Amino acid sequence: MSALIKLTNVKKVFSTDEVETHALSDINLEIQKGEYISISGPSGCGKSTLLSLLGLLDTCSGGSYILNTHQAVDISTKQRAAIRNKEIGFVFQSFNLISDLTVSENVALPLTYRKDLNKQQRIEMVKEALEKVDMGHRTKHFPSQLSGGQQQRVAVARAIAGNPSIILADEPTGNLDSKNAELVMALLDKLHAEGKTICMVTHDPRGAKRAERIIEVFDGRVVSDSRVLQVKSEEAVA
Amino acid sequence: MTMLSDIKFAFRTLVKNPKFTALTVFVMTTGLTLCIYMYSFIQGTLTAPLPFEQGKQIRKIDSIYNGMEYNGPSVRIHDFDDLKKRVQSYDVFDAYDDGIVNISTSDRAFRYIGHYVKASFFEISEAKPLLGRLLTDQDGEPGAESVVLIGESIWKSLFASDQNVLGKKLRVNSIQRTVVGVMPASYQFPGSGRVWLPFISSSKGVARADGDYVAVYGVLKKDVTDEQANSELKTIMAELEQTHPKLNSNRTAQIRTMQAALMGNGTPVIAFAMQLSVGFILLLACINVGNLLLSRAFEKSKEIAIRTALGAPRGKLISQMMWESTLISSISGILAILLAGLWLENSNKNLITTFPFEPPFWWNVALSESSVIAAMVIIGITALVTGLLPAYKATGEDVNSGLRDGTRGAQSKSVGRLSKLIVISEVVLSCALLLLSTGMVYSVHQQNQFDYGVEVEGYLTARIVLPEVEYDSNEKLLQYYQSMRTALQQERGVEAVSFIRSLPSENASSQNISIDGVDYGKKPQYPSVSSVTVAHNYFETMEVNLLEGRTFDLRDKLDSPLTAVVTQNFVKKHFKGNKVVGKRFKFIGNDKGWYTIIGVVNNVLHGQPTPANIEKQTVFVSLQQTPLRSISLVIKAAQEPEELRSMLDHISLSVERDAPAYNIKTLRASITERNSGMNFVSELFLIFSAASMVLAFSGIYGVMSNTIIQKTQEIGVRRALGANKGDIFTHFIKQSVKQLAIGLTIGVPLGIALVAMMEKTSLAQGSMILYIAVPTFISLVILLAVIYPVHRELKFEPCKALRSE
Repeated sequence: MSALIKLTNVKKVFSTDEVETHALSDINLEIQKGEYISISGPSGCGKSTLLSLLGLLDTCSGGSYILNTHQAVDISTKQRAAIRNKEIGFVFQSFNLISDLTVSENVALPLTYRKDLNKQQRIEMVKEALEKVDMGHRTKHFPSQLSGGQQQRVAVARAIAGNPSIILADEPTGNLDSKNAELVMALLDKLHAEGKTICMVTHDPRGAKRAERIIEVFDGRVVSDSRVLQVKSEEAVA
Repeated sequence: MTMLSDIKFAFRTLVKNPKFTALTVFVMTTGLTLCIYMYSFIQGTLTAPLPFEQGKQIRKIDSIYNGMEYNGPSVRIHDFDDLKKRVQSYDVFDAYDDGIVNISTSDRAFRYIGHYVKASFFEISEAKPLLGRLLTDQDGEPGAESVVLIGESIWKSLFASDQNVLGKKLRVNSIQRTVVGVMPASYQFPGSGRVWLPFISSSKGVARADGDYVAVYGVLKKDVTDEQANSELKTIMAELEQTHPKLNSNRTAQIRTMQAALMGNGTPVIAFAMQLSVGFILLLACINVGNLLLSRAFEKSKEIAIRTALGAPRGKLISQMMWESTLISSISGILAILLAGLWLENSNKNLITTFPFEPPFWWNVALSESSVIAAMVIIGITALVTGLLPAYKATGEDVNSGLRDGTRGAQSKSVGRLSKLIVISEVVLSCALLLLSTGMVYSVHQQNQFDYGVEVEGYLTARIVLPEVEYDSNEKLLQYYQSMRTALQQERGVEAVSFIRSLPSENASSQNISIDGVDYGKKPQYPSVSSVTVAHNYFETMEVNLLEGRTFDLRDKLDSPLTAVVTQNFVKKHFKGNKVVGKRFKFIGNDKGWYTIIGVVNNVLHGQPTPANIEKQTVFVSLQQTPLRSISLVIKAAQEPEELRSMLDHISLSVERDAPAYNIKTLRASITERNSGMNFVSELFLIFSAASMVLAFSGIYGVMSNTIIQKTQEIGVRRALGANKGDIFTHFIKQSVKQLAIGLTIGVPLGIALVAMMEKTSLAQGSMILYIAVPTFISLVILLAVIYPVHRELKFEPCKALRSE
């Protein structure tokens, strides 16, 4: 497999007038196409910061980052926006659907920023994405008319609508009950099975175990990078 | 919490947020100051009641001739006699007259406004003399002793407040009169008169055509409405028109309050526009402050949720939040009352110094008791309006959602709708207000720049009224003009001297004419023109252009055929631009005969530069052929005209001791003074425009900024999904364009309608430039109000926006 993402010596420092906080240090990470990765660790360890850097929602303070052959460091905000739009799909803990837009409008949102798609293509892509998450019957509804689980499914549809290279999910089940959480995790499993690359931040061990590779972050450093099979064996030993 | 602790808490909150407090207090103070000022100004002037028991019933009866409304002595004495016999609507119906009174001593002469009155005049105005007695009807009877009632200021200046002044003699208009009483300085009804003389005008033995014009007043019976009295008046005037078609054709009359008669019929419209404007401004201020408080209330939604969870009832929360708006309104109210008071004091000084007439005694441009009470009511309502809605909305939120972080559903949608409504309201109000205010400012600017048709700079003007007893023949009057001209022209700095009945910018006399050869039918509707009497060298002195024929010269004498010079408007209207020299016309109701047109000059504006006056046709007749006792003098100065003032004062007395020159001022100052009322209103509206611009900008910016801050997370989401900065700007601009379009769709027609309403008063003028400029300005405000906050939000990385709550 070829590396979809390659981080080399990446660091992130937050500076205020008096304090410099090293959120991430010397991160070296490769993610292959089709992998299902979970990033875990305690609160404040830097996992969400790592996801922000991976998603080009923030800039690295040092190191290099290559995403699907694109150099992702020292590029303009416009280039970053274009890469995000084409290469990355986001699923957030609090869904982050826009309350003024309908379900189909929310899913169409990333597609509206693409110049290479016409209206008909967008409609078809939205329809396909919503059918994949089993929300094709709620296209005209507003987010406030949906349950939490349904909202997160719409968020997943939005993430996959543009057929991105990778889906970044930040605590996708954090705001859901166990039943809806299971539905969303099953959806991610299905997408992975279809060949999608998924990178998920979670502090839920059960969720993390659904990934095939678990990266553990502690104090801003990757302290463990293991295949799920290995983790399962270790648990068996314990 | 007790009420006291609620107040303390609200006060502490305001102190902790000085920027917020300063902004809200500034906005509210602006709105309230304008509102209190305008309320007090209108109450103290335009609608101020006459301070008499019968004040509400006192009416002035004025003529309307050829559609033009006249004020002052405008009813022919014969018409007054006929009216008095037939009217039923009044308890008192009588006449008085106004005039310039020259009082001369052995070495000086003074000019005052005098009133020729009957006993009833003092009765209705509750007059009480300081010394002596009032005038009686017997004082005006033939053979009665010549008496005079003087004002306190004359008593002080001419008699050094002598307690034995009664019975002393005073030379009034060349007649020795006995002082019978002194009136207090506070008594100035109905104008700024200082001298009262017996009313002597009479129709007895006088041909109707030669009858004096008098001012007529009445006290309406308590059960009679203005409509009924007006209807009765118009019916009688229509009957008089039938009986005396030559003199009363196109002549009717109307009743008005003394206040309306003084200020003109446009006053209620102007007052309405002023009140509407400040109402809009106050509404804008309330919306702005209400919105700021609403934003604050939503910022405190978690605190409100905690209080609710701890068992605080909603009513209690609302009342607690209301204290904040109450404190803001109270602080602003106190500041506004102080500022409005200072402003009113300043306006009062301006009115006295810049107005062409002395303000009526019943005007009280100051903070009155009723103004303060009204201010308190306005402040109370403002506190309620600005505080109640935000408090009600904020406390209506679901407790759970308030306690949870990052969940925004129906609540944010309803807030979004409210924000949109606020922006639309701000656009509507500011657009209408700006169109009205700028329409007025533009109109007055245009009027101030107007070409009067004469040279305006470099002239000194004055008014002269020659005493009737001395100047009882045309020859004497002509001799006076000659002596005055000769005496003045010998002085250094005087280039030319001329005379005119009404100066440019002064209203000219309106008369009906009949043009030779035109058949006006059995029920003639004669055309009306402005008639101005001028000396033979007037056109040359004032640099009026001769376009055809000749102007007056020494050939136009008392005993030569009557001649006239007409303006371009006259030729255009009556002769369709054809040659007119040699054509004839005569004045209706005047037996002087036919006037032959000898020349055509450019249009000269008499009256204010309103569309009606600009369109007027003017005929000039020769002063040599129609000498007048009351005349304006014009000196063309070879130096600074003001420097000739004392010389003119001295010469006028040396030529005629009983006729001092008065109203000595430059022609430019004279025009400026005449436009001062218009300029004053325009300045007020300029302030309204500035205030509305500031409030609209701050309000729209505040709402948009707040809306965008609330959408920080949405901006983060959109950027995470690939939107670049341009996409975000486009999105928010598109959203605001919808609100702008709705606002302008309502605001522009509303503004145009208000301008159209004010166009009737000639104080506002619509213009395509304004109709484009104002919406463009508001669009730019909206654009700026969107771009800046969005730009601010885009400075941060998307991850920060996503984490915002």
